[in-house]
Amino acid sequence: MKTLTLEHVSYLYSEGTPFEMRALDDVSLTIRGGTVTGLIGHTGSGKSTLVQLLNGLNRPTAGRVLIDGEDIWARPKEIASLRYRVGLVMQYPEYQLFEETVRADIAYGPKNMGLPESEIAERVSEAADFAGIPRALLDKSPFDLSGGQKRRAAIAGIMAMRPEVLVLDEPAAGLDPQGRDEILGGIRAYREKSDSTVIIVSHSMEDMARWCDELIVMAHAKLLMQGSCKEVFSHPAELSAVGLDVPQITHLAELLRRRGIPMPDSIYTVDQAARALTDLMGGGSR
Amino acid sequence: MEPIIQTENLCYAYEEDNGRKVPVLKNVSLTVGRGEYVAILGHNGSGKSTLAKLLNLILTPDSGRVIIAGREITSPDLTEDELYEVRRSMGMVFQNPDNQLVATIVEEDVAFGPENLGVPSEEIRRRVDEALAMVGMQKYARHEPHRLSGGQKQRIAIAGIIAMLPDCIIFDESTAMLDPIGRRDVLSIMDELNRERGITVITITHYMNEAARADRVIVLNDGEIYMEGTPAQIFARPDALTAIGLDVPQCTDLIHALRTAGIDMPGDCVTPEQCADAICAACAARGMTFPPM
Repeated sequence: MKTLTLEHVSYLYSEGTPFEMRALDDVSLTIRGGTVTGLIGHTGSGKSTLVQLLNGLNRPTAGRVLIDGEDIWARPKEIASLRYRVGLVMQYPEYQLFEETVRADIAYGPKNMGLPESEIAERVSEAADFAGIPRALLDKSPFDLSGGQKRRAAIAGIMAMRPEVLVLDEPAAGLDPQGRDEILGGIRAYREKSDSTVIIVSHSMEDMARWCDELIVMAHAKLLMQGSCKEVFSHPAELSAVGLDVPQITHLAELLRRRGIPMPDSIYTVDQAARALTDLMGGGSR
Repeated sequence: MEPIIQTENLCYAYEEDNGRKVPVLKNVSLTVGRGEYVAILGHNGSGKSTLAKLLNLILTPDSGRVIIAGREITSPDLTEDELYEVRRSMGMVFQNPDNQLVATIVEEDVAFGPENLGVPSEEIRRRVDEALAMVGMQKYARHEPHRLSGGQKQRIAIAGIIAMLPDCIIFDESTAMLDPIGRRDVLSIMDELNRERGITVITITHYMNEAARADRVIVLNDGEIYMEGTPAQIFARPDALTAIGLDVPQCTDLIHALRTAGIDMPGDCVTPEQCADAICAACAARGMTFPPM
């Protein structure tokens, strides 16, 4: 279970030009190994830059990125091999499929790792299961799949490398509720079975509350908050001040509180709200 | 209410590489009234976007009729001028803001539509200023669109449609890529266009709490109309929705959970405010009163 640490990390785009932009400003944080950590923040808050630093796509302008205490840039020539250990699923990854069959597409990463055929086949099946791709689809062209199926194929392609750290940027955007639950559930299952660390970027506070153990909140290139869903979603005013939100159910709990109904402090799932209210009203008793 | 959109037995099939026809819409008949706010729900691949594209002839149906403001636009004698008129009156905003901006300066982008319609330049100036004001982006008039946030880009895309003075705007998952504040901005613009300007709004979405803002919800499943009604009527049937891969807003879900636990709850709660009212009423019915905080 890999722990990720950022030590005083800053990142500047177009450094030294009139367009210089500070995307990350002295960010220090630790992502605990074995968690599903959610990364939230407004557009331009630095989320995507942060994600690209984790697998060495970008190198910090200042500060260090550590995996289990080891600086990922200690040997810059070996940075490419880091991409097998830290898998990054970018936004709308379905546009990155290119092989003739879904199977070949998922196998692309493991093949580049130089693994034997038998192991590649095993990993393809395993990843297809996590991503919820029926076996019958494996021999189809990726271009004959629906949007949601293509998304799954692209995610499976990264999972097949069995990264120790899996980072996904908006993996469920644009999917219907069932598709969202299946993909996020599959990601959660990957975490449990592979002992990995997972980081999910999303704008859906409801999804974050349901699937993440911890949350990191970025705002204006800085770390604003880090903690459990319970801790983070008990600060609705701070979140709203930086253009974020709380889950709808948290908002409802706040409305009830304002009307004098004693709701517990931290409500961020429907189950919690239902439990609090049935306790209060005494269930079936009329 | 005078209908602005009527479809009759609309059918459409995509053709796969091997020539096989895959039906996407099957006999869809619906009516949208002028000034209505309608949400269309359905799982990925249920035919929502195809339906939207048939309403302004981006696609033409295999069979069936589309009637816009009393004129059958699927009629073979539709003139080119009439086709342009359909495209003007039925504006469309898509999901990805990056795919919708064409110019290098915001106000030129907003002017693109009216310019193509041959609107005189003083009139274009007036419309561009008004449209940018409507979406709260006047101070970005001289900015470069690619430096804006997703939500701001989407507001520019909407301004470009407003500048063509449409009767109806179709939003095809226009909030899917936006952060919470971008989403909030776009949703309040949609409300405003509908309530204050009387523009007919059709929104296609996967977010149930967005559909809860509409006057009426149409649910598509595998190319057919599955349910139709007010948000309260639709979200009163969570099982029917989960059966086709959809769900209900969290607040409505809570009300159903409380009812299952044996607490009497009214059936028409789709917004947090309505749910709060219902819960307070249930507490009061139990003789529980709380001093307001």
